[in-house]
Amino acid sequence: MMPIWTKSGERHAVTLLKVQDCHVLRYLSKEESGGKTAKLLVGGKNVSPFSKPESAHQIFKEAGVPRKQKVTTFNVTDDAIIKPGTPLYAAHFRPGQFVDVTAKTIGKGFQGVMKRWGFKGQPASHGQTKTHRRPGAISTNKASKVYRGKKMPGKMGNIYRTSFGLKVWRINTIHDIIYVNGSVPGHTNCLVKVRDSKLPTCKEYNKNPPFPTFFADGDEKLPEDLFDEEIFQFTDPSVTY
Amino acid sequence: CRASGDEKPAKFQPPPKPVIIDKQKQRAERRFLSPEFIPPRGRTDPLKYYMERKDMIQRRRVFNIPEFYVGSVLAVTTADPYANNKSNRFVGICIQRGGKGLGATFVLRNVIEDQGVEVCYELYSPRIQAIEVLKLEKRLDDNLMYLRDALPEYSTFDVNMKPVSHLDHEEIPVNKLQVRMKPKPWSKRWERPKYNIKGIKFELPEIKMKEAQKWSQPWLEFDMLREYDTSKIEEKIWKEVNEGLKK
Repeated sequence: MMPIWTKSGERHAVTLLKVQDCHVLRYLSKEESGGKTAKLLVGGKNVSPFSKPESAHQIFKEAGVPRKQKVTTFNVTDDAIIKPGTPLYAAHFRPGQFVDVTAKTIGKGFQGVMKRWGFKGQPASHGQTKTHRRPGAISTNKASKVYRGKKMPGKMGNIYRTSFGLKVWRINTIHDIIYVNGSVPGHTNCLVKVRDSKLPTCKEYNKNPPFPTFFADGDEKLPEDLFDEEIFQFTDPSVTY
Repeated sequence: CRASGDEKPAKFQPPPKPVIIDKQKQRAERRFLSPEFIPPRGRTDPLKYYMERKDMIQRRRVFNIPEFYVGSVLAVTTADPYANNKSNRFVGICIQRGGKGLGATFVLRNVIEDQGVEVCYELYSPRIQAIEVLKLEKRLDDNLMYLRDALPEYSTFDVNMKPVSHLDHEEIPVNKLQVRMKPKPWSKRWERPKYNIKGIKFELPEIKMKEAQKWSQPWLEFDMLREYDTSKIEEKIWKEVNEGLKK
Protein backbone atom coordinates (compact mmCIF):
# COMPACT_ATOMS: atom_id res chain seq x y z
CA MET A 1 0.00 0.00 0.00
CA MET A 2 1.23 3.47 -0.84
CA PRO A 3 0.14 7.06 -0.17
CA ILE A 4 -1.26 9.21 -2.97
CA TRP A 5 -2.04 12.94 -2.87
CA THR A 6 -4.77 14.87 -4.75
CA LYS A 7 -4.30 18.33 -6.26
CA SER A 8 -6.05 19.87 -3.23
CA GLY A 9 -3.50 18.27 -0.88
CA GLU A 10 -5.63 15.44 0.56
CA ARG A 11 -3.89 12.16 1.21
CA HIS A 12 -5.36 8.77 0.26
CA ALA A 13 -3.95 5.27 0.67
CA VAL A 14 -3.70 3.10 -2.43
CA THR A 15 -3.14 -0.64 -3.06
CA LEU A 16 -1.02 -1.78 -6.01
CA LEU A 17 -2.43 -4.71 -8.01
CA LYS A 18 -0.34 -6.33 -10.74
CA VAL A 19 -1.98 -7.96 -13.78
CA GLN A 20 0.33 -10.93 -14.29
CA ASP A 21 -0.08 -13.09 -17.47
CA CYS A 22 -3.89 -13.02 -17.64
CA HIS A 23 -5.37 -14.86 -20.59
CA VAL A 24 -8.94 -15.71 -21.64
CA LEU A 25 -9.21 -19.52 -21.57
CA ARG A 26 -12.67 -20.52 -22.72
CA TYR A 27 -16.02 -19.13 -23.79
CA LEU A 28 -19.20 -20.69 -22.39
CA SER A 29 -22.48 -19.61 -23.99
CA LYS A 30 -25.58 -18.93 -21.87
CA GLU A 31 -27.06 -22.42 -22.44
CA GLU A 32 -23.77 -24.25 -21.86
CA SER A 33 -22.97 -22.50 -18.59
CA GLY A 34 -26.57 -22.65 -17.32
CA GLY A 35 -26.64 -19.07 -16.05
CA LYS A 36 -28.31 -15.84 -17.08
CA THR A 37 -25.40 -14.59 -19.19
CA ALA A 38 -22.51 -15.99 -21.15
CA LYS A 39 -19.34 -16.76 -19.19
CA LEU A 40 -15.66 -16.31 -19.94
CA LEU A 41 -13.05 -18.42 -18.11
CA VAL A 42 -9.96 -16.34 -17.37
CA GLY A 43 -6.66 -17.62 -15.94
CA GLY A 44 -3.94 -15.63 -14.19
CA LYS A 45 -0.29 -16.04 -13.17
CA ASN A 46 1.79 -18.68 -14.97
CA VAL A 47 2.88 -21.66 -12.94
CA SER A 48 4.86 -24.85 -13.66
CA PRO A 49 2.89 -27.53 -15.56
CA PHE A 50 4.65 -30.42 -13.80
CA SER A 51 2.67 -30.44 -10.55
CA LYS A 52 -0.66 -31.43 -12.12
CA PRO A 53 -1.69 -34.44 -14.32
CA GLU A 54 -2.02 -34.11 -18.10
CA SER A 55 -5.83 -34.18 -17.90
CA ALA A 56 -5.80 -30.88 -16.02
CA HIS A 57 -3.91 -29.20 -18.88
CA GLN A 58 -6.78 -29.62 -21.38
CA ILE A 59 -8.17 -26.07 -21.11
CA PHE A 60 -4.72 -24.48 -21.30
CA LYS A 61 -3.68 -26.49 -24.37
CA GLU A 62 -6.88 -25.50 -26.24
CA ALA A 63 -6.19 -21.83 -25.55
CA GLY A 64 -2.45 -22.21 -26.28
CA VAL A 65 -1.36 -20.82 -22.97
CA PRO A 66 0.93 -22.09 -20.14
CA ARG A 67 -0.71 -23.50 -17.02
CA LYS A 68 -2.26 -20.86 -14.77
CA GLN A 69 -2.44 -20.86 -11.00
CA LYS A 70 -6.07 -19.68 -10.80
CA VAL A 71 -9.03 -19.93 -13.18
CA THR A 72 -12.11 -17.72 -12.55
CA THR A 73 -15.36 -17.04 -14.39
CA PHE A 74 -16.65 -13.65 -15.42
CA ASN A 75 -20.28 -13.10 -16.43
CA VAL A 76 -20.24 -11.25 -19.76
CA THR A 77 -22.88 -9.84 -22.08
CA ASP A 78 -22.96 -11.23 -25.63
CA ASP A 79 -21.33 -8.15 -27.19
CA ALA A 80 -18.31 -8.38 -24.88
CA ILE A 81 -17.15 -11.89 -25.85
CA ILE A 82 -13.40 -12.25 -26.36
CA LYS A 83 -11.63 -15.00 -28.28
CA PRO A 84 -9.91 -17.59 -26.03
CA GLY A 85 -6.17 -17.04 -25.90
CA THR A 86 -6.19 -13.21 -25.90
CA PRO A 87 -4.06 -11.66 -23.18
CA LEU A 88 -5.68 -9.19 -20.80
CA TYR A 89 -3.78 -6.10 -19.63
CA ALA A 90 -4.08 -3.50 -16.88
CA ALA A 91 -5.17 -0.96 -19.49
CA HIS A 92 -8.54 -2.77 -19.55
CA PHE A 93 -9.36 -0.41 -16.67
CA ARG A 94 -8.98 3.36 -16.83
CA PRO A 95 -8.35 5.92 -14.04
CA GLY A 96 -11.61 7.27 -12.65
CA GLN A 97 -13.45 3.94 -12.93
CA PHE A 98 -14.81 2.11 -9.91
CA VAL A 99 -13.94 -1.48 -9.25
CA ASP A 100 -14.89 -4.41 -6.96
CA VAL A 101 -12.00 -6.54 -5.70
CA THR A 102 -12.54 -10.11 -4.48
CA ALA A 103 -9.93 -12.28 -2.75
CA LYS A 104 -9.52 -14.91 -0.04
CA THR A 105 -9.04 -13.19 3.33
CA ILE A 106 -6.03 -13.93 5.53
CA GLY A 107 -6.60 -17.23 7.35
CA LYS A 108 -6.54 -16.90 11.13
CA GLY A 109 -7.19 -20.56 11.98
CA PHE A 110 -9.50 -21.68 14.75
CA GLN A 111 -10.46 -18.56 16.66
CA GLY A 112 -12.61 -17.85 19.67
CA VAL A 113 -15.83 -15.91 19.71
CA MET A 114 -14.30 -12.57 20.77
CA LYS A 115 -11.94 -12.32 17.79
CA ARG A 116 -14.22 -14.02 15.28
CA TRP A 117 -17.52 -12.25 16.02
CA GLY A 118 -16.49 -9.33 18.24
CA PHE A 119 -18.24 -10.49 21.41
CA LYS A 120 -17.47 -8.50 24.57
CA GLY A 121 -16.52 -11.49 26.77
CA GLN A 122 -16.59 -11.15 30.57
CA PRO A 123 -14.76 -8.89 33.07
CA ALA A 124 -11.20 -9.79 34.05
CA SER A 125 -11.83 -9.65 37.79
CA HIS A 126 -14.66 -9.24 40.32
CA GLY A 127 -15.15 -12.94 40.98
CA GLN A 128 -15.31 -14.37 37.41
CA THR A 129 -14.43 -18.07 37.68
CA LYS A 130 -12.57 -19.28 34.59
CA THR A 131 -14.81 -17.17 32.30
CA HIS A 132 -13.17 -14.27 30.48
CA ARG A 133 -13.50 -14.88 26.73
CA ARG A 134 -16.50 -17.24 26.55
CA PRO A 135 -19.72 -16.61 24.57
CA GLY A 136 -22.00 -16.76 27.62
CA ALA A 137 -25.62 -17.73 26.88
CA ILE A 138 -26.28 -19.27 23.44
CA SER A 139 -30.09 -19.28 23.33
CA THR A 140 -33.24 -18.49 25.33
CA ASN A 141 -35.35 -20.83 27.49
CA LYS A 142 -38.47 -20.62 25.31
CA ALA A 143 -36.66 -21.57 22.11
CA SER A 144 -35.35 -24.80 23.73
CA LYS A 145 -32.94 -25.19 20.84
CA VAL A 146 -29.93 -23.40 19.40
CA TYR A 147 -30.71 -21.59 16.14
CA ARG A 148 -28.86 -22.48 12.97
CA GLY A 149 -26.07 -20.05 12.24
CA LYS A 150 -25.44 -19.22 15.92
CA LYS A 151 -22.16 -17.31 16.21
CA MET A 152 -19.68 -19.69 17.83
CA PRO A 153 -15.91 -20.30 17.74
CA GLY A 154 -14.56 -21.83 14.54
CA LYS A 155 -12.15 -21.41 11.61
CA MET A 156 -11.82 -17.73 10.75
CA GLY A 157 -10.60 -16.24 7.49
CA ASN A 158 -9.50 -17.92 4.25
CA ILE A 159 -12.90 -17.19 2.65
CA TYR A 160 -13.72 -15.06 -0.37
CA ARG A 161 -14.70 -11.49 0.45
CA THR A 162 -15.22 -8.43 -1.78
CA SER A 163 -14.42 -4.75 -1.31
CA PHE A 164 -16.94 -2.72 -3.32
CA GLY A 165 -16.64 0.65 -5.04
CA LEU A 166 -12.87 1.16 -5.07
CA LYS A 167 -11.66 3.99 -7.27
CA VAL A 168 -8.89 3.38 -9.78
CA TRP A 169 -6.36 6.24 -9.39
CA ARG A 170 -3.59 5.28 -11.77
CA ILE A 171 -2.61 2.64 -14.34
CA ASN A 172 0.96 1.72 -15.31
CA THR A 173 0.92 0.17 -18.80
CA ILE A 174 4.54 -1.07 -18.87
CA HIS A 175 4.44 -3.12 -15.66
CA ASP A 176 0.62 -3.64 -15.82
CA ILE A 177 -0.14 -2.22 -12.36
CA ILE A 178 -3.51 -0.87 -11.20
CA TYR A 179 -3.51 1.61 -8.28
CA VAL A 180 -6.77 1.00 -6.42
CA ASN A 181 -8.09 3.20 -3.58
CA GLY A 182 -8.18 1.84 -0.03
CA SER A 183 -7.42 -1.69 1.14
CA VAL A 184 -8.14 -5.00 -0.51
CA PRO A 185 -8.85 -8.40 1.15
CA GLY A 186 -6.02 -10.96 1.19
CA HIS A 187 -2.36 -11.11 2.19
CA THR A 188 0.53 -9.50 0.21
CA ASN A 189 1.11 -11.13 -3.19
CA CYS A 190 -2.16 -13.07 -3.12
CA LEU A 191 -4.35 -13.61 -6.20
CA VAL A 192 -7.20 -11.18 -6.57
CA LYS A 193 -10.23 -10.84 -8.90
CA VAL A 194 -11.00 -7.33 -10.18
CA ARG A 195 -14.39 -6.54 -11.75
CA ASP A 196 -16.30 -3.41 -12.75
CA SER A 197 -18.31 -2.16 -9.80
CA LYS A 198 -21.94 -3.24 -9.43
CA LEU A 199 -22.86 -0.26 -7.18
CA PRO A 200 -25.58 2.00 -8.68
CA THR A 201 -23.71 5.21 -7.70
CA CYS A 202 -20.67 4.14 -9.71
CA LYS A 203 -22.52 3.46 -12.97
CA GLU A 204 -21.86 6.88 -14.47
CA TYR A 205 -18.11 6.70 -13.79
CA ASN A 206 -17.81 3.34 -15.53
CA LYS A 207 -19.01 4.57 -18.92
CA ASN A 208 -16.73 4.46 -21.98
CA PRO A 209 -14.35 1.73 -20.93
CA PRO A 210 -12.10 0.06 -23.57
CA PHE A 211 -14.63 -2.39 -25.01
CA PRO A 212 -14.47 -5.45 -25.06
CA THR A 213 -10.92 -5.11 -23.70
CA PHE A 214 -7.62 -3.30 -24.38
CA PHE A 215 -5.69 -4.96 -27.21
CA ALA A 216 -1.92 -4.42 -27.08
CA ASP A 217 -1.41 -4.99 -30.81
CA GLY A 218 -4.17 -2.51 -31.73
CA ASP A 219 -3.75 1.05 -32.99
CA GLU A 220 -4.04 2.78 -29.63
CA LYS A 221 -0.62 3.70 -28.18
CA LEU A 222 -0.95 4.54 -24.49
CA PRO A 223 1.61 6.56 -22.45
CA GLU A 224 3.54 4.77 -19.70
CA ASP A 225 1.33 6.11 -16.86
CA LEU A 226 -2.35 7.00 -16.94
CA PHE A 227 -3.40 9.30 -14.09
CA ASP A 228 -6.78 10.35 -12.77
CA GLU A 229 -7.57 14.11 -13.16
CA GLU A 230 -7.45 14.81 -9.44
CA ILE A 231 -4.13 13.12 -8.71
CA PHE A 232 -1.13 15.27 -7.83
CA GLN A 233 1.58 14.18 -10.26
CA PHE A 234 5.14 14.49 -8.94
CA THR A 235 6.23 16.37 -12.06
CA ASP A 236 4.16 19.37 -10.90
CA PRO A 237 5.46 21.94 -8.34
CA SER A 238 4.17 21.90 -4.76
CA VAL A 239 0.53 22.57 -3.99
CA THR A 240 -0.42 26.19 -3.11
CA TYR A 241 -3.78 27.58 -1.94
CA CYS B 1 71.82 29.25 -26.64
CA ARG B 2 72.25 26.93 -29.62
CA ALA B 3 75.63 27.12 -31.39
CA SER B 4 75.68 27.81 -35.23
CA GLY B 5 72.17 28.50 -36.42
CA ASP B 6 72.00 25.84 -39.24
CA GLU B 7 69.06 24.02 -37.59
CA LYS B 8 65.65 25.43 -38.15
CA PRO B 9 64.27 27.08 -35.00
CA ALA B 10 62.33 24.34 -33.12
CA LYS B 11 58.60 24.70 -32.92
CA PHE B 12 57.51 26.51 -29.83
CA GLN B 13 56.64 23.95 -27.14
CA PRO B 14 54.34 25.40 -24.52
CA PRO B 15 55.36 24.58 -20.94
CA PRO B 16 53.54 21.52 -19.44
CA LYS B 17 50.28 22.34 -17.69
CA PRO B 18 50.60 22.43 -13.90
CA VAL B 19 48.83 19.46 -12.25
CA ILE B 20 46.55 20.73 -9.46
CA ILE B 21 45.96 18.09 -6.80
CA ASP B 22 42.64 19.03 -5.23
CA LYS B 23 43.00 17.79 -1.66
CA GLN B 24 39.30 18.30 -1.05
CA LYS B 25 38.30 15.79 -3.71
CA GLN B 26 40.92 13.33 -2.56
CA ARG B 27 39.07 12.86 0.71
CA ALA B 28 36.46 10.09 0.32
CA GLU B 29 33.28 11.57 -1.09
CA ARG B 30 30.59 11.46 1.55
CA ARG B 31 27.68 9.35 0.39
CA PHE B 32 24.33 10.00 1.98
CA LEU B 33 21.40 7.79 1.04
CA SER B 34 18.21 8.95 2.74
CA PRO B 35 17.03 6.11 5.06
CA GLU B 36 13.55 5.90 3.52
CA PHE B 37 15.01 4.50 0.27
CA ILE B 38 16.17 1.31 1.94
CA PRO B 39 13.34 -1.26 1.69
CA PRO B 40 12.40 -3.09 4.92
CA ARG B 41 12.78 -6.86 5.25
CA GLY B 42 9.69 -8.69 4.14
CA ARG B 43 7.99 -10.76 1.48
CA THR B 44 6.76 -7.87 -0.66
CA ASP B 45 7.53 -7.90 -4.37
CA PRO B 46 10.61 -5.69 -5.07
CA LEU B 47 8.63 -4.25 -8.00
CA LYS B 48 6.50 -2.34 -5.49
CA TYR B 49 9.59 -0.66 -3.97
CA TYR B 50 10.90 0.08 -7.47
CA MET B 51 7.66 1.88 -8.41
CA GLU B 52 7.77 3.87 -5.15
CA ARG B 53 11.42 4.81 -5.72
CA LYS B 54 10.59 6.11 -9.21
CA ASP B 55 7.97 8.42 -7.69
CA MET B 56 10.36 9.53 -4.93
CA ILE B 57 13.13 10.33 -7.44
CA GLN B 58 10.62 12.23 -9.57
CA ARG B 59 9.60 14.33 -6.58
CA ARG B 60 13.23 14.99 -5.64
CA ARG B 61 13.95 16.24 -9.14
CA VAL B 62 11.29 18.91 -8.81
CA PHE B 63 11.66 19.72 -5.11
CA ASN B 64 14.94 19.69 -3.20
CA ILE B 65 14.92 17.53 -0.06
CA PRO B 66 18.22 18.32 1.69
CA GLU B 67 20.36 15.91 3.63
CA PHE B 68 19.61 15.99 7.35
CA TYR B 69 19.88 13.76 10.38
CA VAL B 70 18.11 13.30 13.68
CA GLY B 71 19.36 16.20 15.80
CA SER B 72 19.61 18.83 13.04
CA VAL B 73 17.51 21.98 13.21
CA LEU B 74 15.14 22.42 10.24
CA ALA B 75 12.66 25.05 9.06
CA VAL B 76 9.69 23.77 7.05
CA THR B 77 7.18 25.94 5.12
CA THR B 78 3.90 24.20 4.26
CA ALA B 79 0.85 25.40 2.34
CA ASP B 80 -1.98 26.07 4.80
CA PRO B 81 -5.42 27.08 3.46
CA TYR B 82 -6.42 28.63 6.80
CA ALA B 83 -3.32 30.76 7.51
CA ASN B 84 -2.83 34.45 6.64
CA ASN B 85 -0.36 34.16 3.79
CA LYS B 86 -1.62 30.66 2.94
CA SER B 87 1.73 29.32 4.21
CA ASN B 88 2.99 28.19 7.59
CA ARG B 89 6.65 28.09 8.74
CA PHE B 90 7.82 25.89 11.62
CA VAL B 91 11.35 25.65 13.02
CA GLY B 92 12.41 22.73 15.19
CA ILE B 93 14.91 19.99 15.95
CA CYS B 94 14.35 16.69 14.19
CA ILE B 95 13.74 14.06 16.87
CA GLN B 96 12.68 11.11 14.75
CA ARG B 97 12.73 9.94 11.13
CA GLY B 98 10.28 7.14 10.40
CA GLY B 99 8.50 5.34 7.61
CA LYS B 100 9.82 3.93 4.34
CA GLY B 101 9.07 4.90 0.78
CA LEU B 102 6.69 7.73 -0.08
CA GLY B 103 5.18 7.78 3.42
CA ALA B 104 8.47 8.73 5.11
CA THR B 105 7.98 11.22 7.95
CA PHE B 106 10.09 13.33 10.29
CA VAL B 107 9.06 14.92 13.59
CA LEU B 108 10.23 18.45 14.49
CA ARG B 109 10.14 19.64 18.10
CA ASN B 110 10.30 23.16 19.49
CA VAL B 111 9.15 25.00 22.61
CA ILE B 112 7.03 28.06 21.72
CA GLU B 113 5.94 30.35 24.56
CA ASP B 114 6.65 27.68 27.18
CA GLN B 115 4.58 25.08 25.33
CA GLY B 116 6.34 22.10 23.75
CA VAL B 117 5.14 21.55 20.18
CA GLU B 118 5.91 18.58 17.94
CA VAL B 119 4.87 18.46 14.28
CA CYS B 120 5.13 15.36 12.11
CA TYR B 121 5.75 16.15 8.41
CA GLU B 122 5.71 13.79 5.44
CA LEU B 123 8.87 14.23 3.32
CA TYR B 124 7.08 13.69 0.00
CA SER B 125 3.84 15.52 0.73
CA PRO B 126 3.03 18.08 -2.02
CA ARG B 127 1.92 20.61 0.61
CA ILE B 128 5.50 21.18 1.76
CA GLN B 129 6.88 24.19 -0.10
CA ALA B 130 10.41 24.42 1.35
CA ILE B 131 12.70 22.53 3.72
CA GLU B 132 15.78 24.45 4.97
CA VAL B 133 18.47 22.97 7.14
CA LEU B 134 19.43 25.66 9.65
CA LYS B 135 21.98 23.54 11.50
CA LEU B 136 23.27 20.23 10.14
CA GLU B 137 24.56 17.99 12.91
CA LYS B 138 24.13 14.55 14.39
CA ARG B 139 23.54 13.53 18.00
CA LEU B 140 24.56 10.49 19.98
CA ASP B 141 21.19 8.72 19.39
CA ASP B 142 18.91 7.95 16.46
CA ASN B 143 15.78 8.89 18.37
CA LEU B 144 15.52 12.00 20.52
CA MET B 145 12.09 11.29 22.02
CA TYR B 146 13.65 11.76 25.49
CA LEU B 147 13.70 15.50 24.86
CA ARG B 148 10.06 15.45 25.99
CA ASP B 149 11.24 14.59 29.51
CA ALA B 150 14.33 16.77 29.37
CA LEU B 151 14.50 20.37 30.62
CA PRO B 152 12.76 22.68 28.10
CA GLU B 153 15.96 24.62 27.40
CA TYR B 154 17.28 21.70 25.33
CA SER B 155 14.28 21.83 22.96
CA THR B 156 13.98 25.61 22.49
CA PHE B 157 15.26 27.01 19.22
CA ASP B 158 14.91 30.54 17.99
CA VAL B 159 12.24 30.76 15.28
CA ASN B 160 14.23 33.43 13.41
CA MET B 161 17.50 31.56 13.66
CA LYS B 162 20.08 32.19 10.90
CA PRO B 163 21.27 29.12 9.00
CA VAL B 164 24.68 27.94 10.19
CA SER B 165 26.94 27.42 7.17
CA HIS B 166 28.34 23.95 6.53
CA LEU B 167 30.96 23.11 3.92
CA ASP B 168 30.31 20.20 1.59
CA HIS B 169 33.47 18.21 2.19
CA GLU B 170 33.58 18.42 5.98
CA GLU B 171 32.24 15.56 8.01
CA ILE B 172 28.99 16.11 9.82
CA PRO B 173 29.69 17.26 13.41
CA VAL B 174 28.41 14.97 16.17
CA ASN B 175 27.05 16.95 19.09
CA LYS B 176 28.04 14.98 22.18
CA LEU B 177 25.67 16.91 24.38
CA GLN B 178 24.43 15.07 27.48
CA VAL B 179 20.97 16.31 28.32
CA ARG B 180 19.69 16.90 31.86
CA MET B 181 16.26 15.53 32.62
CA LYS B 182 13.27 16.71 34.58
CA PRO B 183 12.57 14.74 37.77
CA LYS B 184 10.92 11.34 37.31
CA PRO B 185 8.24 10.11 36.32
CA TRP B 186 9.15 10.20 32.63
CA SER B 187 6.98 9.15 29.66
CA LYS B 188 9.26 6.15 29.11
CA ARG B 189 11.88 4.54 31.36
CA TRP B 190 14.83 5.94 29.41
CA GLU B 191 17.42 4.41 31.74
CA ARG B 192 16.55 0.87 30.56
CA PRO B 193 19.05 -0.73 28.14
CA LYS B 194 16.44 -1.43 25.41
CA TYR B 195 16.42 2.26 24.47
CA ASN B 196 20.23 2.35 24.46
CA ILE B 197 20.37 6.10 25.02
CA LYS B 198 23.77 7.75 25.24
CA GLY B 199 22.70 11.38 25.23
CA ILE B 200 21.24 11.66 28.76
CA LYS B 201 23.19 12.61 31.87
CA PHE B 202 21.51 10.25 34.30
CA GLU B 203 21.48 11.73 37.81
CA LEU B 204 19.70 8.68 39.26
CA PRO B 205 21.22 6.77 42.20
CA GLU B 206 23.47 3.80 41.39
CA ILE B 207 20.92 1.31 42.74
CA LYS B 208 18.32 2.44 40.17
CA MET B 209 20.81 2.21 37.31
CA LYS B 210 21.79 -1.31 38.38
CA GLU B 211 18.15 -2.33 38.67
CA ALA B 212 17.50 -1.05 35.15
CA GLN B 213 20.24 -3.37 33.84
CA LYS B 214 18.02 -6.32 34.90
CA TRP B 215 16.05 -5.76 31.67
CA SER B 216 19.11 -5.97 29.47
CA GLN B 217 19.08 -8.63 26.73
CA PRO B 218 22.79 -9.24 25.99
CA TRP B 219 22.01 -12.11 23.59
CA LEU B 220 20.27 -9.75 21.13
CA GLU B 221 23.47 -8.52 19.48
CA PHE B 222 24.47 -12.10 18.64
CA ASP B 223 21.06 -13.05 17.17
CA MET B 224 21.80 -13.82 13.54
CA LEU B 225 18.19 -13.88 12.40
CA ARG B 226 17.86 -10.22 13.32
CA GLU B 227 20.77 -9.15 11.12
CA TYR B 228 19.83 -7.15 8.04
CA ASP B 229 22.84 -6.41 5.89
CA THR B 230 21.90 -3.47 3.70
CA SER B 231 25.33 -2.72 2.15
CA LYS B 232 24.67 -4.35 -1.24
CA ILE B 233 21.07 -3.09 -1.42
CA GLU B 234 22.32 0.41 -0.59
CA GLU B 235 24.92 0.29 -3.38
CA LYS B 236 22.31 -0.60 -5.98
CA ILE B 237 19.81 1.96 -4.76
CA TRP B 238 22.53 4.66 -4.56
CA LYS B 239 23.38 4.11 -8.24
CA GLU B 240 19.69 4.07 -9.21
CA VAL B 241 18.92 7.27 -7.30
CA ASN B 242 21.97 9.09 -8.68
CA GLU B 243 21.17 8.19 -12.26
CA GLY B 244 17.55 9.20 -11.74
CA LEU B 245 18.52 12.59 -10.30
CA LYS B 246 21.05 13.36 -13.05
CA LYS B 247 18.48 13.22 -15.86
